[in-house]
Amino acid sequence: MERDLTLIAMFAALIAALGLIPQVTLAFGVPVTAQTLGVMLAGTVLGAKRGALAALLFMALVLLGLPLLSGGRGGLGVLAGPTVGFFVGFPVAAFATGWITERLWRLPMGLAAGIASVLGGIVVLYVCGITGMSIILDRGWLEAAALSTAFVPGDVIKAVLAGMITTILYRARPRSVVSRG
Amino acid sequence: MLALTSPVRTRAHGWPAGAKLGALGLATLGLFALESLLGQTLAALVVLGLFLAPGRVFAAAGLRRLRALWPFVAVLLVWNGIEGDLREGAILSLRLLSAVGAATLVTMTTRLDDMIAVIRRLAAPLRRFGVSTRPLELGMALVLRFAPALAARGTQLASAWRARSARRPSWRIVVPLAITALDDADHVADALRARGGLIDEGRPNGT
Amino acid sequence: MTSVLDLSHVSYRLDGHAILQGLTLRTDARRIGIVGRNGSGKSTLARALTGLLAIEGRLRVAGVDVVHDRRAAIGAVGLLFQNPDHQIIFPTVAEELQFGLGQQGVAPAEAGRRVAEMLARFGCAEWGPRPVNDLSHGQKQLVCLMAILAMGPRVIILDEPFSGLDIPTRMRLARRLDALDAALVHISHDPADLRNCDHVVWLDQGRIAAEGGPDVLGQYEAEMRRIGARDA
Repeated sequence: MERDLTLIAMFAALIAALGLIPQVTLAFGVPVTAQTLGVMLAGTVLGAKRGALAALLFMALVLLGLPLLSGGRGGLGVLAGPTVGFFVGFPVAAFATGWITERLWRLPMGLAAGIASVLGGIVVLYVCGITGMSIILDRGWLEAAALSTAFVPGDVIKAVLAGMITTILYRARPRSVVSRG
Repeated sequence: MLALTSPVRTRAHGWPAGAKLGALGLATLGLFALESLLGQTLAALVVLGLFLAPGRVFAAAGLRRLRALWPFVAVLLVWNGIEGDLREGAILSLRLLSAVGAATLVTMTTRLDDMIAVIRRLAAPLRRFGVSTRPLELGMALVLRFAPALAARGTQLASAWRARSARRPSWRIVVPLAITALDDADHVADALRARGGLIDEGRPNGT
Repeated sequence: MTSVLDLSHVSYRLDGHAILQGLTLRTDARRIGIVGRNGSGKSTLARALTGLLAIEGRLRVAGVDVVHDRRAAIGAVGLLFQNPDHQIIFPTVAEELQFGLGQQGVAPAEAGRRVAEMLARFGCAEWGPRPVNDLSHGQKQLVCLMAILAMGPRVIILDEPFSGLDIPTRMRLARRLDALDAALVHISHDPADLRNCDHVVWLDQGRIAAEGGPDVLGQYEAEMRRIGARDA
């Protein structure tokens, strides 16, 4: 019970920390912040329910006015901005990633986590994000989608990394990777 | 932790947080209902005036927060301009700037404690139905405590990396960072239980 | 009078490994030392004595069944963690101190008053609103101690509290601990830390290797030096 709460809070803090630390360079020299990597990991490590709660907790603190979104953004303005869908999509994406990771328990940990991160952390997150953008900018869905595609390659790399990192975590701390509990 | 509250104290800091949030909600609804260019221009001027009212430091800090919007404004104007409807592009751009600006104003003039108090009040009815809001409050406190600690650990790992490598830190530092998070979760769960935990009804809390 | 520690056949296993094996121990001493090498089960014993582990056997601390009676346990025994960063839950000093009192059912106004008193008693009256992350290691350790003392425990378990502290900070903390009314169970790998103890338990591979007065420390140190002289 207490451990569920602290795991959820720690992953909310991890999502925040990954947006705050200096950018890390992914393969091919693409510098991106690792915040969505944190969202993917919340799902692959904590599973659907706890992962979504971690992302929700993170969201709540951003809305309360903490500069935890990558680039030090935060506050209520996020909800009126064009990226609102990506932001609101965090818990949805974490839930989907966790749900798929749990369903793929037959597969090796890393493969399951990688597939789940692509489907949950990219497909689901972009559906939410693009929908939000098309509403705020008053543009068709496909036009809004075109504006977002620049970030897809970076996110694919992050999904692969999420799979690798989850494997390492599963080996190092099997009892903490509760998506396979 | 450093919050996004304004560097200068304004009169609006003293206004009740609930009222500010309510007004923001209404203003946002209004902005989205308003379809005239004149109306949107006036609304944007009002928001700009509110940013300027407390002085230059406040205005500079506030308008800097809207920086992320400029690329989108450019896209809206160019895109709609190409399609020959610059008026529509202007309305959308002004609305975007006013809505985000108004929300930023509320965030800048409301202390974190006051925001948390609003959440607590909104959650109060839940308690009447027997839903405990304790985990939510504890969870928020834990994130406030550990987000800076984890970020500091991340920076530390990045310097440890740079001390031995000419390249920028890679994703590999995310692994020890996540392990720190998992281990801290265990330790803090112990610390919570050592002082009574969430429920303390005669139950051995074995791990 | 109830014993400070009363253990009867206490065992604990984790993932099939026996970490504590049939510990039986009873003492009324006010300053108890538990000494042992890294991995001897010291920290596990600290958590067990605080009632955090589902152990086998019977365990009472200050007369309280700390495993099953959690409500009484939090008023009877406090645990000072080895690393203060593992113990501190809240972002500010005042919140950290106030938490335990709230858990004991103390009303917020009264708890706030007691927190202020505790801070004043240790000469850090202005610390209340300070963010924990800005404090030094020694200052964080003091916050942890104050947070425990605020709850008024009869027994305090100290898990290597001096590790990582410089000499002046260590001396100050030692003086503060010596002055406490509560019984102390001090856990350390370093016999020098335990010189003031009237009862010493030597823990080795989850078992009690020796037990008695401070002379046990001499035996322990001689054995450690003998082991250390050999190459592993």
